[in-house]
Amino acid sequence: MMLSSLILAAAPAVSAPAGDLLAIRARHLATGTGETLEHAVVLVEDGKIVTVGEDLPIERGIPVLDLDEDAWVLPGLVNAYTRYGLGGQGFSDLRPYIQAADEVTPATRGSIMSMSKYGVTTAALYPAGRGVPGQSVVVATGPTPDGDMVLRRSAYLKALLSNDSTSKRNLRDGFKEADAWLDKEAKNREKYDKAKEKAEKEKDADKKKAELAELGEYRPLPPDMKGQAFLDLRAKKIELLASLSKAADYLHFLDALGKEEVNWHLRLSLSTECDLFHVKERIGEKGAMVIMEPEVTLHPATMRQRNLPAEFHRAGAKLVLIPRADSSAGMETWLRDVGVMVAAGLDRDAAIQGMTHHPAALLGVADRVGTLEVGKDANMVILTGDPFEAGTKVLAVMAGGSVVFGEDEL
Amino acid sequence: MIKLKLSALAPLTLLFAAAPAALALAPVPQDDDSGDVEEAEAEEDGDRWILLQGGDVYTGTGALLRDADVLCKNGKITEVGYDLHAPEGAELLEISGYRVYPGLVALESRGLFGGSGSLDDSVDPFNESMTYAIASGITTAVNGAEVGKLNRGRLEGVLLKRGTFVGLSYSVSNPSGRVSLREKLDGAAAYLREYRKWQVQVRSDKELKEPKKSGVDSNVLAVLEGRARALFSADDQQDLIAIAQLAQEYGFRPVIRGCREGWIVADELGRAGAFAIVEARDRRSKNEALVRPGGSSIENAAILHQHGVQVAVLPSSTGISLGGIVGRDIMHMPTEAAFAVRGGLPEDAAVASMTTIPARLLGLGHRLGTIEPGKDADLIITDGDLLHYRTFVQWALVGGRVVYDKEAELYFAHIRPRPEAELAPESPVDPGEEEVVEPPAPEGEEAGEPGEAPAEGEGSDG
Repeated sequence: MMLSSLILAAAPAVSAPAGDLLAIRARHLATGTGETLEHAVVLVEDGKIVTVGEDLPIERGIPVLDLDEDAWVLPGLVNAYTRYGLGGQGFSDLRPYIQAADEVTPATRGSIMSMSKYGVTTAALYPAGRGVPGQSVVVATGPTPDGDMVLRRSAYLKALLSNDSTSKRNLRDGFKEADAWLDKEAKNREKYDKAKEKAEKEKDADKKKAELAELGEYRPLPPDMKGQAFLDLRAKKIELLASLSKAADYLHFLDALGKEEVNWHLRLSLSTECDLFHVKERIGEKGAMVIMEPEVTLHPATMRQRNLPAEFHRAGAKLVLIPRADSSAGMETWLRDVGVMVAAGLDRDAAIQGMTHHPAALLGVADRVGTLEVGKDANMVILTGDPFEAGTKVLAVMAGGSVVFGEDEL
Repeated sequence: MIKLKLSALAPLTLLFAAAPAALALAPVPQDDDSGDVEEAEAEEDGDRWILLQGGDVYTGTGALLRDADVLCKNGKITEVGYDLHAPEGAELLEISGYRVYPGLVALESRGLFGGSGSLDDSVDPFNESMTYAIASGITTAVNGAEVGKLNRGRLEGVLLKRGTFVGLSYSVSNPSGRVSLREKLDGAAAYLREYRKWQVQVRSDKELKEPKKSGVDSNVLAVLEGRARALFSADDQQDLIAIAQLAQEYGFRPVIRGCREGWIVADELGRAGAFAIVEARDRRSKNEALVRPGGSSIENAAILHQHGVQVAVLPSSTGISLGGIVGRDIMHMPTEAAFAVRGGLPEDAAVASMTTIPARLLGLGHRLGTIEPGKDADLIITDGDLLHYRTFVQWALVGGRVVYDKEAELYFAHIRPRPEAELAPESPVDPGEEEVVEPPAPEGEEAGEPGEAPAEGEGSDG
């Protein structure tokens, strides 16, 4: 990250006009990789970051945005779990084929875009419902370098797990559907192979040719609606997000998963007397990603407070933080709520990464967003002060190199 | 008397006397600070051993071994005796001065497994009621139609058995019910006779058809075949006699829940080989209109036991009560048994009424109820006589794992802490988390603009 020796003039000058270049100079900049730069300079070109470093000289002629001494720059925040601006009720059974992407319409676009004013530049919208309600979509809430709002059409498949037979059956049934399709496909293939073998044994050359022509190339069966998502899980094309609220749910999730090898993450929804700390070591030792809200909980049957995000981080889990409430108020106080957890012992870098890099990694878009590194989309939040200090506000937000909020403040 | 019984174990003891000194080398286990069963899964690498060293072992077989050891491997008891050698890497629990009993078996329970539906899909092995139950000594409990282990923090091995009991009713006050039960029993008995005849004949005549099962009550059939126990709920002496006669007539051993006037007809019940599930603190005065003994008796359990009835105890409430009926709930099984001792029941029979007898009654006598090699390592370690009101369970093992340590839990750690143990930490919370400050009250202007998109979201999460 230390690029102090880099001469900016030598940066590859793409054919774009010099007007697309913008340099930002900030006293404090958190890159999202766990590092904080002092006297940082970021050079943005065509909506992407081309240079980041400390105390870099800026070539004459490039417009410079000089930020206030107190200001902090963070990567654009990533909300990995939201239905902001989407209404509607889902189902509670096995519907893995439902795509939240279909809910991104001109009607909902406005409210999705409005998340940017809270510093959220990337969001994953999940499908409504209980059971296995479908797959989420990752969207940008502002302009992107390539102009496409959807960063990833099918991200995690959500599954709600609880200690009852229905939710476990939903998950098991999904894999059964996948197996059933594979069986059918294998039988179909076998039938085709037999027919072909028979045709090839045909002595009459003309007849053989005709029969082979009729058989043609092998065509696989059309994919099965329910099974396909689970085949994708097995092929690691998508991930599974298990939504849990109790320690027991985690054990039942593993039990329902059985020997299936899939990439999974956890959504741990924290309630007042949450007992998830019972499994923090078991989850932590797997280095799993856990989505949780910055919520102070109580040890069951006591008034003793627990900081579960901090405990899970210490246990080795990768923290992904989301707003306490999935609303404008929740997003407005998001940084401050995380600040409360930081004040109560949560590692500061883990907190920043939990709102930027880790959610981007969970959503499989870490190559585009989540950190301020060369080559990433120029998504930034400019804050009036330390991110976790009370009173700090979002001053401006940049998405894909354009200032989408707070232009007047700069 | 003890000496006599010990001699039966002498060969066992001799075997292990060969390696007396090795124990000193056994590694001292790292005390798990949480008691939350968070130990690493060791069995993948090798065998999981635990040695309980130097306790008074109440085996439940009649033998009391003072200052003896219990060695367990992968959840089963492998050896009971003196100076046992623990292999390297074994967990060691030094319990000299404490007593070891088999884990208690509750023949009915409510809410201990947290969740509804089949145990293996619904158990919440972290729920508080389970911890309370283990703290009172229970390691196995009947939950509805299933028998489960209180394997705290784990799902494996929770479900032991399904469909143990068949509830039947046979009361003098319900003549038509009696007729109908008899008809079912006759039908099932006739079918069984046909079936056995067919079993013999089919050897010579392969074409012979199996007798039809249609019309035979499957529940009653299970009782006659010995696959399930017939459970009657009865208190009245006439009902008890009727049940005893019925059972003898059809050849099964009845289980009688309640059995309040059993002490009057104990002889009949004993001859029928009955099991009685009694509440020793039951109080009911006799019906003064009748010129005969009646009502409850503190001696009920003792008299039933004297006449050969297999007596198990259950308190009047089978859930965990922290208010209301507290003291007579499932946490107080040993207290219930102690009241039976007050009425004359021998102490070993009182312990058996919570261990051996319920295990046998559930058809799990081969796995539970006593401390013998081969049995499940479900053990409780107490600081005194199990039947004394002052006694606490200090540790509990289920499947050879320490699932409860009094000093590590919030509930009873502060009452008479173990002298040698460090006091339980003031808080189970990680350091650094106690400085949690209340989030500042949201300022009016920041509390979200009305008319914004609805705060949906977590609603769909439940």
